[in-house]
Amino acid sequence: MLILGIETSTPQTSVCLGTEHGLLASAALGRGNAHGEFLTPAIQFCLQQARVDVTAIAGVAVSLGPGLFTGMRVGIITAQTLAHARRLPVVGMASLDLMAFGARHARKLVCSVLDARRGELFWAFYRPAPGGLQRVTEFRVGPAAKLAGEIEALADDVLAIGDGASANRSLLESTGAEVASNALAYPGAPALVELALPRFLREDTQRAEDLRPTYIRQADARISWRNRGALLGGKPTGVTREVS
Amino acid sequence: MLVLGIETSCDETAVALVSDGVQVRANVIGSQIDQHRPYGGVVPEIAARAHLELLLPVLDRALVEGGCTYDDIDAVAVTVGPGLIGALLVGVAGAKALALARDLPLIGVNHLEGHVCATQLESGALDPPMVALIVSGGHTSIVLLDADGAFSTLGQTIDDAAGEAFDKVARFLGLPYPGGPEIDRLARDGDPAAIAFPRAMLHDGTFDFSLSGLKSAVVRELRRRDAAGIEIDVADVAASFQEAVVDVQVRKTLAAAQAHGVERITVVGGVAANSRLRERMTAACAAAGHRLLIPSVALCTDNGAMIAAAGWNRLAAGQRTGLDVEADPNLVLTPLPVPPSSAAPGGSPR
Ligand SMILES: [Zn+2]
Repeated sequence: MLILGIETSTPQTSVCLGTEHGLLASAALGRGNAHGEFLTPAIQFCLQQARVDVTAIAGVAVSLGPGLFTGMRVGIITAQTLAHARRLPVVGMASLDLMAFGARHARKLVCSVLDARRGELFWAFYRPAPGGLQRVTEFRVGPAAKLAGEIEALADDVLAIGDGASANRSLLESTGAEVASNALAYPGAPALVELALPRFLREDTQRAEDLRPTYIRQADARISWRNRGALLGGKPTGVTREVS
Repeated sequence: MLVLGIETSCDETAVALVSDGVQVRANVIGSQIDQHRPYGGVVPEIAARAHLELLLPVLDRALVEGGCTYDDIDAVAVTVGPGLIGALLVGVAGAKALALARDLPLIGVNHLEGHVCATQLESGALDPPMVALIVSGGHTSIVLLDADGAFSTLGQTIDDAAGEAFDKVARFLGLPYPGGPEIDRLARDGDPAAIAFPRAMLHDGTFDFSLSGLKSAVVRELRRRDAAGIEIDVADVAASFQEAVVDVQVRKTLAAAQAHGVERITVVGGVAANSRLRERMTAACAAAGHRLLIPSVALCTDNGAMIAAAGWNRLAAGQRTGLDVEADPNLVLTPLPVPPSSAAPGGSPR
């Protein structure tokens, strides 16, 4: 069963094609907010290199975050419309779960941590369980000091992974936690497809239109009157950036 | 050729199906006004979130209304800019995925070119040269489309956009958002000559506009009357404010058309739905011998049909957009490929 995987909730865009027999093709780019530009050509590249037609895709797996708002939206709308246009089932999964999956052999309490911007982090804790890991907390958002406090309060050995952990290495290490290398800094599409495949096989799928990003934070409700762009010959009138 | 048009540059999630650039088969708009109303203006993050939730349902409805399936679609056109970056990204990413999934050509469209091309949906073909007044919540400009298909901006607002001025004054008057329709409705019971609000830059010889001073003048006048104990008739204020806006727009648009020897004038954008602007522009064009092509209200406000129409003009000339195209919040107008009236046989009225 050929599954397309899309992960765009971090500064890394990751795409792959995989089946129950393994990975067929993958492409990743770590150039910050390039999701919109890179994603569809990357899917096309994977299809071409794997020598399969888009009509051969049997399901679309997509990361729902938490993560960068614009990145999540680009990934989810791409998965939704592609699935809609080919009448395919979809499976949505959490970015933090995918990252933790990469550390499933650690035999420690795993803490997935992503940079949430604005001085905050997203995180969740995972405990080793038969066949992988089990998430034991909600997704949380807050400053690094709050996460450090949570780790300190735990009796377990903790392995912290993700770009949010790397960026706060000394603080988290001071709590006794181990901080993983950058190889585990971002969630990737290959883990997404591996985790989603059993759900496609047992038809535990979703309708494309029901997918929603995991925002956690409320929308920033500032009105910017003057950010609709400039006209020919005009200057941009103070374009304001989105939250992420 | 059936073109699917997608528009998500601001606060309307719109999808349309248009045959041969002129015949609207479906034109569906998912409005987010209720979500922005509590804030009195378009909130970019809320708009981006809403586009994601609305795009598939709106697309579904367009297919149903058009009585077609994906197999009937020949190309995908999408607004690439200008607009809100987070909002644009949703439509652009969706359009690219559709193009890949159905192996369809993609064409990226400038939102303002789309507004101008809305006229061909009712007149059968775009027929330059023409002067366009583009007035909306984000834009106030006079654009010349010359006989060769090249756009040039003759003038634009140096501060607030017209729709923005309507919203801000409406908010000051305690009217709900969006303010344009509210002021339009209220003004029908008011006297447009009751208060002589300033006509900024009317005689400066340019085709530029300034609207922030007018908003301040409204505020000042109301405070003055309040302090002096003079009774305030809100309908008179609305009518007088609207008249000041419309007056400058009509006179400058006609002056621009005369300066460039252009007969055809069009008025597009959300504010082109304003009944007083339509009335005054119609009268002024008739008096001065100009031909006015003003789309019906549903095609003046943001919609997918205008994007499909503009996209078709370029597709028919062989243009295509790559799947690596980016949303561009500051996209500038570029020349149309060929004089659109002679673009292709399908361009003639039908
Ligand atoms: Zn518009």
